[in-house]
Amino acid sequence: MNLLAQIITWINGLTNTLGKFLLTPPIAGLSGWLSNTIISALLGPLLLIFFKYISNQSAIQRARDDMKAHMLALKLFKDSFSVTLRAPWGLFQGALRLLFHSIRPLLIMLVPVSLLLAQMGLWYQYRPLKPGEYTVVTMNLNGNSDSPWPAVTMKSTPAVELTTGPVRIFSQRQVCWEIKARQNSAEPLIFQVGDQEVEKELAIGDGFMRVSTDRPGGQWWDIFWHPAEKPFSDDSAVQSISIVYPERLSWTSGTDYWVLYFFVASLISALIFKPFLKVKI
Amino acid sequence: MHKDNGKLDRREFLKQSALTAVAFGAGLNATRVYASTKRRLSAGAANKVIVIGIDGMDPGLSERMMGQGLLPNFNRLRQAGGYTKLGTSIPPQSPVAWSNFINGAGPGTHGIFDFIHRDPQKQCAPFFSIAETVPGQGYWEMGDHKIQLDFWPFGHKLPQTLLRRQGTPFWDYLDQAGIWSHFYDLPADYPPSASKYGHHRCLSGLGTPDMLGGYGTYQHFAEDGPIRTRDEGGGRRSVIFFENHTSKPPLKLIGPTNNFLIRPEPTTIEFLVHRDLQARSAVIEIQGQKILLRQGQWSRWIKLDFDLSKPALDKHVSGICRFYLQEVAPNFRLYVSPINTDPSNPATKITEPPTFIKDISKELGLFYTTGFQEDHKALSNKVFSDAEYAAQAGMVLQERLNLLQYAMKHYDDGLLFFYFSSTDLQAHMFWWDSNEKHPTRSAAQAKHYFNHIKKLYQKLDAVVGDILNRYGDKATVFVMSDHGFANFKRQFNLNTWLRQNGYIQPAQATSVLADVDWSRTRAYGLGINGLYLNLKGRERDGIVAPGSQREELLQTLVSQLEAVRDTNGQRVIRKVHRADKVYSGQATALAPDLIVGYCRGYRASWDTCLGGMTDEILLDNDSAWSADHCADVSEVPGVLFSNKPIAARAPALVDMAPSILTEFGLNIPDSMVGKSVFKT
Ligand SMILES: [Zn+2]
Repeated sequence: MNLLAQIITWINGLTNTLGKFLLTPPIAGLSGWLSNTIISALLGPLLLIFFKYISNQSAIQRARDDMKAHMLALKLFKDSFSVTLRAPWGLFQGALRLLFHSIRPLLIMLVPVSLLLAQMGLWYQYRPLKPGEYTVVTMNLNGNSDSPWPAVTMKSTPAVELTTGPVRIFSQRQVCWEIKARQNSAEPLIFQVGDQEVEKELAIGDGFMRVSTDRPGGQWWDIFWHPAEKPFSDDSAVQSISIVYPERLSWTSGTDYWVLYFFVASLISALIFKPFLKVKI
Repeated sequence: MHKDNGKLDRREFLKQSALTAVAFGAGLNATRVYASTKRRLSAGAANKVIVIGIDGMDPGLSERMMGQGLLPNFNRLRQAGGYTKLGTSIPPQSPVAWSNFINGAGPGTHGIFDFIHRDPQKQCAPFFSIAETVPGQGYWEMGDHKIQLDFWPFGHKLPQTLLRRQGTPFWDYLDQAGIWSHFYDLPADYPPSASKYGHHRCLSGLGTPDMLGGYGTYQHFAEDGPIRTRDEGGGRRSVIFFENHTSKPPLKLIGPTNNFLIRPEPTTIEFLVHRDLQARSAVIEIQGQKILLRQGQWSRWIKLDFDLSKPALDKHVSGICRFYLQEVAPNFRLYVSPINTDPSNPATKITEPPTFIKDISKELGLFYTTGFQEDHKALSNKVFSDAEYAAQAGMVLQERLNLLQYAMKHYDDGLLFFYFSSTDLQAHMFWWDSNEKHPTRSAAQAKHYFNHIKKLYQKLDAVVGDILNRYGDKATVFVMSDHGFANFKRQFNLNTWLRQNGYIQPAQATSVLADVDWSRTRAYGLGINGLYLNLKGRERDGIVAPGSQREELLQTLVSQLEAVRDTNGQRVIRKVHRADKVYSGQATALAPDLIVGYCRGYRASWDTCLGGMTDEILLDNDSAWSADHCADVSEVPGVLFSNKPIAARAPALVDMAPSILTEFGLNIPDSMVGKSVFKT
């Protein structure tokens, strides 16, 4: 595992703790649209304040003043050829400066926002399985096509019934199982891979639960977007394990749409709070 | 579906529809006028009528089994006077028979005479009789695509599917009177006829196509399959190659045809199959879904998304199918069911109102939506073994039993109609009630599978028992079939017979659709029971003059055909009916001139139905489709059970609609020829 992956894993440890502590009460306790609205409403002004402190507010102010002056010049000296020629150029330069001063803070903000989205995604992107539903579990093994195949078994648990498998996909070094959820559970699935025992989180239940589709391998990108579970180390026989979960159908707190709703709601909330917070953007 | 059968039929069809609409309006004024849609029933009228349609339930077998105490619930009805044979239609084919049921009158009123009709103007081009797809008209080209704007000032016409059944279905009278009717799997009603007053719900049954547009096309992939995909009537076979146990090249599933293209082409979905020999299992990867199957296992219904490319936004249509892993090694075989319309997101209208199917799907999930659900083609084409077919048909029945539970749960009052296809499509393959040699099975196997049919009757007896327990004292209950069943041991090639007797020329002709000399051909067979004269003024190349020449020819054909004997001296044809004697009504334009009614044990040969000729006139039937009912009307009556004593002496299908209307206190419209079975 490279350094970046290591760092993200470490950060994930922190965000998981924070995420569980801060997000569980609203999301698990309220309906989807309400929890997403509350989180967005709080986050809008919070991000504004954050922006205020990490951006160069006086430089932004100067750029804005400059632009205002050029606008005024355009209005006042409509008939002056040289002004009409110069003012738009000045406006354009001002806009560029404004952009330049916003990009850095925006990039900085991208990191915590993405970490938050990764945590929120655990709740909203998919729903847990319901008892009676079937799904497929896929284990990716490390090694190449010539490497020997370890013996792989899934341990039986009262929460699920193993309906088909393991079935191996040789060309992709995958092992697959079909399972049927039997009862509500947050207990992990346990696999024996050679002499190694590995776990994969599993969520069966109603309403909102943290649903981790993937326990990732050593790729920093995967680790970033699948923060809930500890990534497999490079020397593990297992590269990753994934479980297919049903999509959550909702315009405010369901698969994919929750992100859209989150951005729109937090933007509206930020615009409402902007005059009170005296932030220049 | 037939795509190209002339404007004349369509005009005719529209004209007929308009006529019946007028007649309908006039009839209502004359009989019963309702100020509002609120129901007014005469004293003693029922407000619940339940009709269970059991396609092909045979009186002979039913009576035998009742006598042996094997059908206690049916027997209870019989002992209370609620049992009789039910006269079927001429000919006794399901689309014809159920249309008689629907109109309360014969084929002359609904215009369905056979599974297959022909276009006389195209010199006997055949097409399916129940529905017609009218191609669109006019478009703009945009690259490979066509753009059709069906509004002013462009006025392009979009392709559409029309129900060809004519006349007024009896539920229109219920609808008008504010009486609810619920139909589940109603045959001969695709696309479902629209309800004027909104008191009618219908899920189309027999006649509803799959997403490829036929009556059901499976797709089969096997290591010993043909290199080039082969069509085999109801199915397609392809080869599968493996590299490192993964299919290579990827397999292609054929989907619905993209009619937005100037040259319409079927859509395809690529998918992969990975096999694990040791686990005797496979993983199918299709559209991001993984499906795990053990050898012999069926998948659940899988949703597939077909992308119909368009110049602007593509249109996506949803279909459903099931995979069945038949064998992993040594010959990997994978069966894919016909792709059915997705009931949760239907691409075509298969219910009235269109939302009805979504409501059902919300509770029941996904289920077969094609008319023919039992995949008999897979058995006929030897893709399925007998046991595999029985298992698949069993799954169909289970789905339908779930649907029946839904139907009863959502039924308050009015009419409830529920249809079972199992008794027909399983009997076609498994019925064999004699000691003669079965076309494909040993004596023991034939007996074993005939017992399977008996068990099916017992299962339905229990279903009827359950309905009687729930509604016996609240509703008028009918259990009926459209026809009975008979062995299909010998096949008669009508066209070969016509050729050998000089009616079809030249003597070496092989098919009515290919190499017949119409200037010398006087008659031809098409469909299962139809015989047509090559009539001047009607057929494009007609030569038989109407009047005495026609009359003479008809008489000769009838007497000669009724005299046909098999090699063992057995009679082949019970009766040949003249259309001008047995049909009356406004919709006789496409009727055959003669309807050949076979004796039990005989049927039209496989080849002759689509005009083909063979060396011999009479051949053994060698198909797994070893029982049939397309015989003479007198040979295969159906059954009628009721929880009320039946008074009519010899009731027939056309009496069902009048009986139902009478039960609700409505008058019998003039368009119907039948009368209530509870009256003598
Ligand atoms: Zn049939």
